[in-house]
Amino acid sequence: MRKLVIKKLSAAFVFAAISAFFVAPADVRAQPAPYPHKVVTLVTHSSPGGGSDVFLREMVKYLGKYIGATFVVENVSGGSGARALSKLATSKPDGSIFYATTPTYIFTSLLSKPQHTWRDLQPLAIMFADPEVLYTRADGPHKSVRDVIEHGRKARARFGVANPASLERQAAERLKTAAQINAAVVSHEGGGDLMINVLNGTLDAGVGEIQELRTQLSAGKVRLLGSFTDKRLSDFPDLPTVKEQGFDVVVHKFRGLAGPKGLPAEIIAVWEKALPQLLADPDYKKIYGSESLIVDFRGAAQAGELVETFAREAEAFLKESGVIK
Amino acid sequence: MEIAALVAAMLFGTMLVPAALIGLVWGVIGGAMPGLSASVTMALVLPFTYGMEPMTAIVLLASVYIGAEYGGSIPAILIRTPGTNSAAATVIDGYEMKLQGRAGEALGISLWSGVVGSLFGLIALIAFTEPLSELALAFKPMSYFALGILGMSIIASMSGDSILKGIAAALVGMMIATIGIDPLSGVNRYTFDLPDLLGGVKPIMVMIGLFAVSELLRQSGGADLGSQARIAVRIVFPNFAMMKRLAKPQGIGCGAGLVEGLLPGGGGSVAAFFSYNEAKRWSSNPQEFGKGSVEGVAAPEAANNTVASSSLIPLLSFGIPGSNSAAVLLGGLLIHGLLPGPRLFEQNGDVVTGLYVGSFIATMAQIPVGLLILPLCMWMVNRPRAYLAAFVMLLVMSGVYSLNGSFLDIAIVAAFGFTGWLMLKGGYPFLPAVLGVVLGPMVESNYRRSLLLSGDDHSIFIEDPIAVGFLVTAMIFVAFSIWRERKDALARSTMKEV
Repeated sequence: MRKLVIKKLSAAFVFAAISAFFVAPADVRAQPAPYPHKVVTLVTHSSPGGGSDVFLREMVKYLGKYIGATFVVENVSGGSGARALSKLATSKPDGSIFYATTPTYIFTSLLSKPQHTWRDLQPLAIMFADPEVLYTRADGPHKSVRDVIEHGRKARARFGVANPASLERQAAERLKTAAQINAAVVSHEGGGDLMINVLNGTLDAGVGEIQELRTQLSAGKVRLLGSFTDKRLSDFPDLPTVKEQGFDVVVHKFRGLAGPKGLPAEIIAVWEKALPQLLADPDYKKIYGSESLIVDFRGAAQAGELVETFAREAEAFLKESGVIK
Repeated sequence: MEIAALVAAMLFGTMLVPAALIGLVWGVIGGAMPGLSASVTMALVLPFTYGMEPMTAIVLLASVYIGAEYGGSIPAILIRTPGTNSAAATVIDGYEMKLQGRAGEALGISLWSGVVGSLFGLIALIAFTEPLSELALAFKPMSYFALGILGMSIIASMSGDSILKGIAAALVGMMIATIGIDPLSGVNRYTFDLPDLLGGVKPIMVMIGLFAVSELLRQSGGADLGSQARIAVRIVFPNFAMMKRLAKPQGIGCGAGLVEGLLPGGGGSVAAFFSYNEAKRWSSNPQEFGKGSVEGVAAPEAANNTVASSSLIPLLSFGIPGSNSAAVLLGGLLIHGLLPGPRLFEQNGDVVTGLYVGSFIATMAQIPVGLLILPLCMWMVNRPRAYLAAFVMLLVMSGVYSLNGSFLDIAIVAAFGFTGWLMLKGGYPFLPAVLGVVLGPMVESNYRRSLLLSGDDHSIFIEDPIAVGFLVTAMIFVAFSIWRERKDALARSTMKEV
């Protein structure tokens, strides 16, 4: 076994060396802002390859240009994010560690009453919104949100969402209430499972992020019915919002950063200056543009308000649907 | 000719061959570590692929998957610890063979079956991606429910002497499977506000506890800790006659693996159990099963290795991963800006061809890599039993801890180890409990999902032809098992009278 372990270690070492070579910032044209820490850890609850992991790893490729530090991504998975929350809440708020936020950290806080919740973290910024859409199969009968709702008035509409305690389910339940129809909102074991049931006609429509649908969209297998956003999506200018179609349901799937509570003002200032620059970086733009992310930059104060409102709405929804007391 | 030139250029002009070999070796090691599932083994190397050429990265990941599915069988045979979920069925006859001093033969068979399974899955992937992906779409929640019931129906034949004890064990397994966030409503069930329990109790924890830890407890209760039956360290690769005999169970394994790989959520363990049971049903020597049958090793190992390739079919054709490990591969594709789907074949045909060629290299390289690694593993299990037991316990516990860094996981495994020891004393079989944990969520969530779809109308199950087919088959199996049980009981009682 010793040989195996050595083999494993040396393999890990070689891999680490290779990856360090590739991750190192390649381009240092602009002078990065000075930063009090040499190494900054960015924590995600995603496992490698998951949504927030990809988000962070793409970001750190360019972040070094604007902030003078080395950025390391750390995957703290487990407990649906509760473990990552604890790690952040018990770290020093000195700007050396941040967490990639998504609505998951709020839902987990509300659902499982972990030792540390979203309230123990201080939002640093919101960077993007992941648009949520209602979609159906391309060869199906429904052409708009109205069609699905009409179907629901006559018979029983079947909406699908990937997970039970999620923003997608919240959107579907709210649509059902807003349209006053009899509908089933069916949770699945994840996005793949849901997609199969949309494609084979078991469901009338599914709720998901545009990013998750890219494969099916490019293959012409799914049709978008409406976006749960305030404004139309710039990538899909012909797609009306759900709100335009008469049902006032808007949800906001944010992506941003948060740190331990009590971040110093000068640290916040560095990030608030650097992040808009990063978002304007043409190379980085190319990457996030291809993922249909909407730039929605908010600094620490506004991000805090947004998270606060979001948590209030999420809590109300979870209580209404009987998930929590 | 053109294709030959392209393949030659790939073999010699790119990093494809080293990627396939490194991936395979890492996969075998990760798969052999108890607790590290195939998907975790893949996820661990994923960050290192970010800087690579897309094709190299994908080949590396796919090779890790192939290696891990094979590697899981090594500890299953040698120390009764399934390295991966899908190697649990291999424990049954593999460990029995090891106890009989036939470890070399068992490892040779699992190696050969792994190669056969991977090769079959690869051919299906290359030749029949289109029609098979249509089959994946045909599965609705009702079909999954029925598939789960069909899987449960084999409990009877895995129960050993008493069906009643088997059912009891299965029910306990199903109850354990309810822990965690309710898959439909989102309500917490039996989580005691512990965040670590939100995701439920992973089947691999139950398997490691029941199989490995209970065995260690049993061994340490024995008196002969000093002695150890030396096993020959030579790998016995199947000869031609043996290959012929293994063809049938392997065929069953390949078929089951092919179907399960197409369906999201499985991941090989159902196929492994199912093929084990079917191999027993159709074998000319069913009495050998559970007592060190070579066919009992071949069937599940062919099945889980087939899944490593067949789960890429729905992934490549419409971006829906057929297993957790295929989901990691999807992450790898997306990171390199590659969208799976029909257009992947048009726009990035070289990546797809590279994936095929790389998988083929990794498949064939299993034989030399296995033959190099296995003697080392066998040498290790030949140490005095007391040292070995302590080492295995350390390996198991550190493997479990490394998954999530959670002490609760260690406590769970230890608790199942003790439970397993009690079950052993009481004559309760493990397999039904494991099946309950694996299939319980599939049956429960899809049953409720179906009823939610229909508005509590059970006729929805009759409207789905796949569900009807599975349910009828399950009924036939159960009836057959009861009939055989009665016959055996009758035979036993007449024997007593005589």
